[in-house]
Amino acid sequence: MAKLFNVSSSPHFRSEHTVGREMWNVVLALMPATIFGVYHFGLHALLVILTSVLSATFFEFLYDYIAHKPNTLWDGSAIVTGLLLALCLSPTVPLFIPFIGSMFAIIVAKNFFGGLGKNFMNPALAGRVFLIISFGKLMTDYAVDGMSSATPLATLNGGGTVDIMKMYLGFATGHIGVSILCLLIGGIFLLATGTITWQIPVASTIMFAIVLLAFGPAGFDPQYLLVQLVGGGFVLGIFFMATDPVSSPMSSEGQLIFGALVGLLAALFRLKSSMTDGMSYAIIIANLFTPLIDKYVVVHPWGVGKPAGFAEAKAAAKAKAQTEKAAEKAQAAAEAAEKAKNAGPVAKSFTFPVSAAILCAITLIAGGALAGVNLMTADTIKANQEAAALAAYEAVQPQADHIGYDDDLTAAVEALGGEVYGTSYGRAYINEGCVGLDASGNIVGYAFNVSSMDGYDGEVSMSVGFDTEGTLLGISFTTLNETAGMGMLVDTDSWKAQFKDVKVDSFTLIKAGGSTADDEIDSVSGASTTSGAVVNAVNAAIDFYQKNCIG
Amino acid sequence: MKIFQVRGGVHPKAHKEQTKDKPFVTVLPKDEVIIPLSQHTGRPAKPVVKRNDQVFAGQLIAEADGFISANIISSCSGKVKAIEPRMTDAGTMAECIVIASDGEFKNAPGVGEETPLDTLTPSEIIEKIKRGGVVGMGGAGFPTHVKMMPPKPEEIKYIIANGAECEPYITCDHRLMLEKPEEIIGGLLCCLKIFPGAKGVVVIEDNKPDAIGVMKAAAEPYPNIEVEALKTCYPQGGERNIVYSVTGQYIASGALPASCGCVVDNVGTLAAIYRAVVWNEPLMERGFTVTGAVANPGNFMVRIGTPLSEVVEAAGGLNDDAQKLLFGGPMMGVALPGIDVPIKKANNALTVLSDDEVARAEAKQENCIRCGRCTRACPMGLIPQQMAVACERKDLDRFIQLHGVDCMLCGSCTYVCPAKRPLTPMFKQMKPVAMGYMRAKQAKGGK
Repeated sequence: MAKLFNVSSSPHFRSEHTVGREMWNVVLALMPATIFGVYHFGLHALLVILTSVLSATFFEFLYDYIAHKPNTLWDGSAIVTGLLLALCLSPTVPLFIPFIGSMFAIIVAKNFFGGLGKNFMNPALAGRVFLIISFGKLMTDYAVDGMSSATPLATLNGGGTVDIMKMYLGFATGHIGVSILCLLIGGIFLLATGTITWQIPVASTIMFAIVLLAFGPAGFDPQYLLVQLVGGGFVLGIFFMATDPVSSPMSSEGQLIFGALVGLLAALFRLKSSMTDGMSYAIIIANLFTPLIDKYVVVHPWGVGKPAGFAEAKAAAKAKAQTEKAAEKAQAAAEAAEKAKNAGPVAKSFTFPVSAAILCAITLIAGGALAGVNLMTADTIKANQEAAALAAYEAVQPQADHIGYDDDLTAAVEALGGEVYGTSYGRAYINEGCVGLDASGNIVGYAFNVSSMDGYDGEVSMSVGFDTEGTLLGISFTTLNETAGMGMLVDTDSWKAQFKDVKVDSFTLIKAGGSTADDEIDSVSGASTTSGAVVNAVNAAIDFYQKNCIG
Repeated sequence: MKIFQVRGGVHPKAHKEQTKDKPFVTVLPKDEVIIPLSQHTGRPAKPVVKRNDQVFAGQLIAEADGFISANIISSCSGKVKAIEPRMTDAGTMAECIVIASDGEFKNAPGVGEETPLDTLTPSEIIEKIKRGGVVGMGGAGFPTHVKMMPPKPEEIKYIIANGAECEPYITCDHRLMLEKPEEIIGGLLCCLKIFPGAKGVVVIEDNKPDAIGVMKAAAEPYPNIEVEALKTCYPQGGERNIVYSVTGQYIASGALPASCGCVVDNVGTLAAIYRAVVWNEPLMERGFTVTGAVANPGNFMVRIGTPLSEVVEAAGGLNDDAQKLLFGGPMMGVALPGIDVPIKKANNALTVLSDDEVARAEAKQENCIRCGRCTRACPMGLIPQQMAVACERKDLDRFIQLHGVDCMLCGSCTYVCPAKRPLTPMFKQMKPVAMGYMRAKQAKGGK
């Protein structure tokens, strides 16, 4: 018998591209941002990156070893996950944070679901969200909250300006991958090498911009939009995380839908939630829709569903075709229609998702019912709220017989126009002012309802009372939705007592505690964000009081 | 004229420089010619000779059985030795007429006599094509006379001569265009006589500028023949792609090029038409490239039925490192178990690979990372990744929903796959099953 030759099915040629190279492309693309991050934030950032990458590879190796799987270390996916996770962490986090994050990302989010290619959401983002839920305070503790768009946005809303150029170049505070320019360089590299496609970044950017311009507080303001685009994790997200091929749809049409979903959710989270990093959640939620999108978006292949003579018909129309050609076209179209008919169920390439429609209907009905209930009970709720507000006023006007309103004071509050108060109190608002009256109707004190939007979970509102001499009489919360056991601890008598019977121009928050002076406030342990919001709101009230009620 | 560019496609290394400058060398079979009865799409031909009959080159030895079938012609003179099953390229035994050549290659009466084209009517031309046993020589082997009889001949607008030759390695069409352009143009003129309202278009990939030049010069005297360059890209030479390139029309699923007013023929087929019609010479020989890991790669003019081993010998024999033998090119070629098989009408090349990339790829297959490169490469606009998932789950309904039956098995998706998934092999298995399932379902639904 002569020599035996190999026999297999065609094609017998394979490109030199490998999964490993696909992953190294991403690592390479992340390099500019990584190097800039280390340069900008210093040694600790480098340590965070190293810890994240090394622990990701370690856990990958560990899992393979324990599960008796072939070693998948060299496909580079663990390194990508580790690097991506590090780039969306604050440069000041303790090193156990990236370690735990990598563990969750690699073992739980990735390998429990079957390893590379089988995970249903981006492992790095899953790790990050896990960290946020578990170590909220550490994760959002930026020196200046650069990752979140809240701070630059607040500045912008308060009439200040944000240096977009600095944010763009990365000379700002925030997560390690802060330089938009470096991220864009990486994104373009990925596009050029075909590692990602344009659909997801473009669709999400457009959707994000539309929603922000249409529903944003600033209206059609390009500068506002630019800040939103260069701020936060948006660019990192759309180029490196939303495009993670494993957890995004296959077809380009599906990718457009997916991208739009990411953009919509990201914009909504920026506008309507108190979260500082809506981007992570936006992508993760969109990831969950990927199988559904893949299932229902079936592209039209060649010659199916499309009329024959598609391109020619277009060219002919452009050239103002003669009647002859038009007749030809009609015939071709008729033929195609006939063919489509004959092809039967195959030609019907877009199956209408009945189950999805039913789900939508249920959601709409449930939402409508909820809205209806809300409408019906609105009056009762309003009355209850007013009673609560009155009670809060009375609590901070103990010396008064009853609470009344003063026209001058109401006018002064209205003059603020519902805008953020001042420039140095964060997002603080003066909602209402009233006066404490004695039995014969003389003014014996003032009380204000103020709120700050900078609480850990959004709005913190309270009533702040003064006597006529400028001495604080106390505070009483009207809206407080902070974390139980942490932020909620501000609503204790001992803590609130710090604002009682003192006469100061403004308070300062002492994060470490141990205050000595009247104008120093001890932060509630583990809740400096909430404490800070309260102090800002009280300071706003003091400022307003001094400007409008004295003299 | 405007040339449309198809979607997708890949750019494998062409490897054509090995043989593109090697002119055809005639290789005659030594003592035995093995002519399979099935060298075409459709039913095998029925033998009309018996054992020990004397035959001449160009003589009919098996005739077409039904409409979609083709005549089989003896390619040498000699005695019929046997009609028996022999090993063919599919790796299975198939019925063949074995002729013991007398080494003289005497033509049957009338073969090689000129009949001017002007004296022939369209039906006579078709009859001559049919008698000559001409089939598609690009690989599919579809009987050419069937293509010349579309249901609505008056709607044919283009006769396309396919000289794209997009498969890596193969150069026999390239050489044919350089050496015998007048035969290709002659074949086109025969077709244009059948379809007087049509226009001839020769399409050639732009990596063959010399062939474009030669064909342009040859087409110069004929105002109704044009030569157009196509972008170099695999699978540019696929029938659907060619039709789209020329007309901008999509052939509907399951339809033939005639539905878009086109007749597509390989340049080799057109040359064979010319010889069959004008010179009364049935399809007896063809151009054949032997390339890759052989001592002297080259292009050969071989008789149909010549044992492959003799052609390999003419090319200096296989190199020691030869690992894989392919009839055709590396993208769609069929792997051969050995070289003791005859060359059929539709075989255009033997590609010998010294390095089996499939074996390497299979050794390091990984999970699909859904990178989408297959989707971007697919010339049909399918989603191979999803189709592969359907194959793995044996989910016929999903496979059909994804239009898996429209896959033309070009292999582009498999070529680009970074995880080295065996996509095309899966589709090859699934496609016939899905088509049968579809037919059964339709029969049921239609009652």
